[in-house]
Amino acid sequence: MHPVTRREFVRSAAAPALGMVVRPGVLGRGRRPPSETLGGALIGCGGRGPGTYDGMRKFLEKAGLQVELLARCDVRFADKADNQTIYADFRRVLERKDIDVVAIGTPPHWHALISIAAAEAGKDVLCEKPMTRFIAEGRAVVEAFRRYNRIFQIGTFGRFADSKDKNKVLIHKIMTSGLMKNCPGVVFRKGGFKVKEWSGRVNLAPQPPPKGLDWDFYVGPSPFKPFVRDRFGGTHRNYWDYEGGGLADMGQHHLEGFNWTYGKDYTSPVEIEAHAPVAHPEVTGMWGWVEMKYADGLTLVLESGEWGTPYDRKKPRDVRLTDLSEEDQRKIREMPDPEPLLDFGEAVRTRKPAGGHPEAAHRTACLLHLANLAIRTGRKIRYDPVKEQVIGDEEANRLVNQPMRAPWHL
Amino acid sequence: MTRPQDVAALVGQMPDPDKHGKLDGIPWPEAEKIYDEILKGGRPAIVKLVEMLREVDDGEDYKVRYTLHGLALHVGRPGKEQEREMFASALASQLGGPRPKPVQGFLVRELQVAGGKESVSPLGRLLADEDLFSDAVLALLAIREGVAGEFRRALPGARGRRRLALLQALGVLRDAESVPALREAAGDPDRDTRLTALWGLANIGDAGSADLLLRAADAPPGWERIQAANSCLLLAERLAASGHKAEAAKIGRRLQETRTDPSEAYVREAAGRILAAAK
Repeated sequence: MHPVTRREFVRSAAAPALGMVVRPGVLGRGRRPPSETLGGALIGCGGRGPGTYDGMRKFLEKAGLQVELLARCDVRFADKADNQTIYADFRRVLERKDIDVVAIGTPPHWHALISIAAAEAGKDVLCEKPMTRFIAEGRAVVEAFRRYNRIFQIGTFGRFADSKDKNKVLIHKIMTSGLMKNCPGVVFRKGGFKVKEWSGRVNLAPQPPPKGLDWDFYVGPSPFKPFVRDRFGGTHRNYWDYEGGGLADMGQHHLEGFNWTYGKDYTSPVEIEAHAPVAHPEVTGMWGWVEMKYADGLTLVLESGEWGTPYDRKKPRDVRLTDLSEEDQRKIREMPDPEPLLDFGEAVRTRKPAGGHPEAAHRTACLLHLANLAIRTGRKIRYDPVKEQVIGDEEANRLVNQPMRAPWHL
Repeated sequence: MTRPQDVAALVGQMPDPDKHGKLDGIPWPEAEKIYDEILKGGRPAIVKLVEMLREVDDGEDYKVRYTLHGLALHVGRPGKEQEREMFASALASQLGGPRPKPVQGFLVRELQVAGGKESVSPLGRLLADEDLFSDAVLALLAIREGVAGEFRRALPGARGRRRLALLQALGVLRDAESVPALREAAGDPDRDTRLTALWGLANIGDAGSADLLLRAADAPPGWERIQAANSCLLLAERLAASGHKAEAAKIGRRLQETRTDPSEAYVREAAGRILAAAK
């Protein structure tokens, strides 16, 4: 039986049962065998991509793991891909045995598919936010990472800060205790959604794609449309085909903490209503506010401050310990604090779920998708958070699980 | 009754974009009045809107596109079935004829929003169209109910990406009648076609395809081996869930036996979980 290397340990959660993990010190100070260094890849090298990879590297190093960037992949590399270190097709990257961890920095219409493919290839993933483009993608990511027992962390970290905040830990305990039956809480998230900034332009004409860009591959699972310059390079956020405007782009930042604090990592709202104009078929647009109610009574209000009349249905209302009976308050005080959330590096090292694990990240992304669903359909949505389907509205349900262009599928 | 010649004036009430081309949008209460006026004109008013679409979506006709999409959303509301059917039938009547393909593509995408059973046959006919099949596939998959026959009918003679799209659609729909076609496609010279067919058979949960999938999973290291193994696991999960535990266990055991390289330990472990679940 040979000693298990760090890389083998990462590949197999059962490895410790087979032997010991070689630690760097075993071979002498400063020496690291190749098997001790994880192979890293960055898929999607524009915009946030390099920052996402750098963040991944820092998390791994903080956990005592070394990573070497072996492959960079981008659809813009079609002319220069050598399939050694530079790639244009992520599948060529993922089939490499020497790559263990992958940072995904593509536009969001690729996040789920590449994350799933990475799990199928045995890789761990740090994926830029938002996790997905629509709800069914998130469920498929959850299932893939469960099937292969791989590590996934969404690339936003608000929940880590909130999980160390004494007041938010108290709310977390109240909300996850099962003792709060009719929650009076009303949580507001005002501003910061960049609604106008990430709304699209309706007056752009198609043009030939830039040299070196594989436009068909870029479009991937989304409906094929002619190249328009804003569909690529940051302004992809302005198109329903690739993201979902400022709400989808910023929302996961703003709401990861909310989802942890209020114990919503395994459920979603049951009623969603938006104050917004009629949506455009292609480009994202304006909205004023979205009200989301949970089955336990909690209300979450997103307010852009950029369109229409202000939200005036409810006032902000904290969840308080005194909302519970004396006896239940005592039970909360006696509850232990939750386990610290593991960052990506610690999760890879220990093979335990990261703080922003697939289900948690999916449920946060659902908030963005449900809000956009109400904005896009212009009507109140009733949602089943277990079946993950809109109730009694077939047209709205078509946005929950959107068909993909072959060969891409969930 | 709104006359077709009045439609342009109603469309003209849609807001202009700002100097950057960004749209503030029309509030729903205002828009609904316009939509209801147009709908009073019935099919001729909808066809008039279609006639106003330009071949290239360059922004010049954005008010028409915005109006048509708003109508698709408006009539898609629960309780508006009669209006929805009229609207969708009107759009579908404009497919397959002389209208420019990009215009038809836009109509197909609006039928993806609001189409129903009245749209299935007209969309199905587009599955033979090299320019429009891709949008038609997506629209039919969104409609979902009663569409599998359209894909089956279009499959013989289809080649390349069109064939791939049709095969995938049948897999997405878990269409058991398509098992023979998918098995045949699993031996296709094209890798994407093979993998799509294998996935389709797995998604359908076809127990009789287990050996075929396992043979495919013996491919040399690379993408095909990874994807074929994944289809095996999917099939095993489907079989275990439907009570075919022995067949599921057989797949799990075979994957455990064949995934001996340390780089495939994660597949071996996934297969082990299948075996545990199939007990």
